[in-house]
Amino acid sequence: MRLPAANKASMLLGICVPSLKQGASKFKIKRLELDSNLHMYFTKFEFVYAHDPQKQCKTGDIVLIEQLPQKLTMLITHGVKEIIYPLGDVTCPLTNKKVVASKYRDHIDAINKVYGERPGAFNYKNAPQRGWQEDKKDFSHVDTYIKYHDDGTEQPYAV
Amino acid sequence: MNKILNHNKNIIQITIRNYAFKSDLKIKWVRPEKIPCYKPEKSGDLSPFPKINKSEYLHEFRKSKELETADENVKRLFTLEFNSRKYSTQFYNKRAMEEVKRHEFDTGSIEIKLARWTGYIRAWQEAMERFPRNKRLKVKLKEVIDMRKKHLRYLRRWDYKKFEWILENLNLIYKPSPTESTWVTRKGSLVKLTDKYCADIKKDKLEKYRYLLEAEQPAFLEEKLRTLQFIRNEQNDCGVEVTVSDDEINKVKQLLEELKLKRTPVEEN
Repeated sequence: MRLPAANKASMLLGICVPSLKQGASKFKIKRLELDSNLHMYFTKFEFVYAHDPQKQCKTGDIVLIEQLPQKLTMLITHGVKEIIYPLGDVTCPLTNKKVVASKYRDHIDAINKVYGERPGAFNYKNAPQRGWQEDKKDFSHVDTYIKYHDDGTEQPYAV
Repeated sequence: MNKILNHNKNIIQITIRNYAFKSDLKIKWVRPEKIPCYKPEKSGDLSPFPKINKSEYLHEFRKSKELETADENVKRLFTLEFNSRKYSTQFYNKRAMEEVKRHEFDTGSIEIKLARWTGYIRAWQEAMERFPRNKRLKVKLKEVIDMRKKHLRYLRRWDYKKFEWILENLNLIYKPSPTESTWVTRKGSLVKLTDKYCADIKKDKLEKYRYLLEAEQPAFLEEKLRTLQFIRNEQNDCGVEVTVSDDEINKVKQLLEELKLKRTPVEEN
């Protein structure tokens, strides 16, 4: 049997996808596969589980993962090395300033100061680390499903 | 001979037709009731449209100096009570927007937009309860709900911390849309339920086996302790080199004590 390409490389760059596994995060790795008949490359996705005891990776993060010297379980073959692009906390690579969409945070703050800041407005300094609403109001860390069975219990992950 | 028999068995199992297979398992499937897309359960609104104090002035006239000195009847004419429902919604929206504003003149930031849409959604959801056959309102409501969800998705990508803050502030739930969106079928649901049933059985059995092994732990450790001490004593008596160290025995003792401490609260219950 041919080994998946992801198993050969020692370090990989993957996008975190929702998974409920404890102590590990799931990553989607993009590969280009050559179709020898058409002489064209087609994208293929491979899925890899990486050891992440604190569950630092959130869905959508771009993370560098490293192959473990020994498999932890049948599934967990890699470990998280570094979160390269945390989702929703973008730093401009040229100026090292924080960015929101297409604007610098500093510029937004400067505009707010000119017009008069409001006490109830969102403040980056007092804001808790991302993930504090996880499983309470933000369910982006799980793979939701369409509710198919009504067993009387509450199904928070059903849509 | 046995091998041949087993092989035959496998062949028989393969040839059994399984397209009309009916499961013996007593799994009862209940089709979930359909919830219309505009309901708060689907849209993720945790708090409904609040009851508004009808004696408040209209938003434009709330700071009017003329009204302060006006006649009582005129004053009442400028309250929410004597104006259409639209003004009550507006009043609620403005108040919700005030809370999340970035600065005094902020009218177009993403927080403001989300607050405004949330206000409309909640007001229209209440209207839909009273007039369920209002199709235009239903369409409009669904469009706004979907738009709000889309922008929440964007906000999460742009600014995760603000996204969480706004969820808390507006009292919303954000659930991403499922990756597999097929309709609910009897067969598919039963397959999923059977898989779940099998997984539960497996989990139960593993758990029971774990308890069984854990129950044997103290007896094993006591036996180990006794054996180690016996070996040590024998080696001392015979004058041979002592291979069992004190540390080894102490470790076993410590483990045993820890286990006993863990067990006691369970037994009391």
